[in-house]
Amino acid sequence: MGNILRGPRPPRWRTVKVVVRNTFRYLVGGAIRNWLRNFGSTAPALGSMTLLLLLVGLGLVGAVVGQNIANTEARDASVLHVYLRDDATTDAVNALEAQLSGNPDVQSVAYVSKSEALARAQNRPGLPQLADAAESNPFPASLDVKIRSVDRVGAVDSGVPSSYDPSAYRRFQQVLFWVAAVGIAFLILLAFIAVTVTANSIRAAILSRRDEIGIMQLVGAPRWMVRGPFVIEGAVTGAAAGALSGVLALVVCVFAVQAGASSFAQIAPGLTLKAGLVIGLFLFLAGPLLGSVSSLGSVRRHLES
Amino acid sequence: MADVTFSELTPLVEFVGVNRVYGQVVALDDCFFRLLPGELSFLVGPSGAGKTTLLRLINREIKPTRGEVWVDGLPAHDLSAKRLAELRRKVGVVFQDFKLLPRLTAAENVAFALQVTDLRIADGEARERALDALDAVGLHDRAEHYPHELSGGQQQRVAIARAVVSQPPLLIADEPTGNLDQETAWQISTLLEDIARFGTTVLVATHNMEIVHRLQRRVLTLSAGRIVDDQPAGRSARLLWATS
Repeated sequence: MGNILRGPRPPRWRTVKVVVRNTFRYLVGGAIRNWLRNFGSTAPALGSMTLLLLLVGLGLVGAVVGQNIANTEARDASVLHVYLRDDATTDAVNALEAQLSGNPDVQSVAYVSKSEALARAQNRPGLPQLADAAESNPFPASLDVKIRSVDRVGAVDSGVPSSYDPSAYRRFQQVLFWVAAVGIAFLILLAFIAVTVTANSIRAAILSRRDEIGIMQLVGAPRWMVRGPFVIEGAVTGAAAGALSGVLALVVCVFAVQAGASSFAQIAPGLTLKAGLVIGLFLFLAGPLLGSVSSLGSVRRHLES
Repeated sequence: MADVTFSELTPLVEFVGVNRVYGQVVALDDCFFRLLPGELSFLVGPSGAGKTTLLRLINREIKPTRGEVWVDGLPAHDLSAKRLAELRRKVGVVFQDFKLLPRLTAAENVAFALQVTDLRIADGEARERALDALDAVGLHDRAEHYPHELSGGQQQRVAIARAVVSQPPLLIADEPTGNLDQETAWQISTLLEDIARFGTTVLVATHNMEIVHRLQRRVLTLSAGRIVDDQPAGRSARLLWATS
């Protein structure tokens, strides 16, 4: 038995190198090897997590669009566009402007000419084609009247042709609220399913390696070393799901932006490629987090010594 | 310098009034004993007497219902989950069914146990120490064999090499010869005796009374969860349960 006696310790840098290599091999290498080996049992977790993250991504796209519409509505609701007839005289326009400016509920009044109205329309999806289709400029001149409080719009609206619809903003807010509430409830349910399926796949992985785990525990391997590969395995599943859903969400965004730019309808107002990239990146980072947290729960439950 | 007698040595294992209950069944009842460094002891008794429960308490696979279990200064009865690994590195374990990993060779099985407990050990060093351990149990020429290519006795030797490769102060063996023929069982027993001779405390739970008689070591007899006899080494007294 004497031959088993240890020799002198190697230099510190070499020890660090060995520790890093062994840690990587047992934690990361072992996790990836087992992930590939147990892909059959991991696939349902991957699928449900991808679906969850994709729906979260689409929810975020919807939130960006909804927020943008809400902001636009809020801004527009406090601005009255008082449209002017093409044959209105300068005196009549000035008189109307002076009358509106004298109202204590009015913050400011700005004149928008027909050419300015056309220039604004050029920046809105679909409208440039409409302008091009017409032989002359179809957009009327207007007075943009900014109201101090959105609640006082009705008091200022004096019966002249304007953009004011008193209930549209509130209706829109109510719809937005219920869509968000139902969406969040659905995502919570889906998150529960995804976490449960992932936890079960980790449980299957633990069972498939129970002999190895048993030996590791008996010989005194540290807890993090026994648990670590499973947490990383879950993170790998989450990363794959995050990457898949991130790419899909980005594709949806690109499609929506391109389709919106080339049609008369505003498919996703306010959505940009930058927003799509941020959402994709968020999903890519959320995936590993979701996977590792699900795994940790399962490991704590099924791997207690 | 004052002489230190064998009985004055600090015990490596100490059971103090240990009781273990499974539901309504009392598996161990008020057990007191000490194991000294380098001591080889046998734990005998009929099936269900509590031998395996006693070994599992030492390794803290289970906790005592009452009492204290001390292993090399560590309170196994009151050890947090975070410190379990520290305890288990002090205790080598050998089982009746060997528990070798089938997809690893003999050398890899031994090296695996070494590296998962100490990440500072490089592959080369782990392999060298694994080969040394296999050499010590007489299996150097079987290092590259997989478990299914080895006989039962050889597999048990690999399991012993794995248990002692990190040089724990204590080795516990639960029926290590249970699956082996008498000749192989004797070889394994003498191997355990050699390990004890190098300073490791060895506790062997066994039904093999021939080996117990031949080795003439300390024998703890369990019956219905109680230690009914503690026979010192070198005596060939009747073993209560085996001869009654």
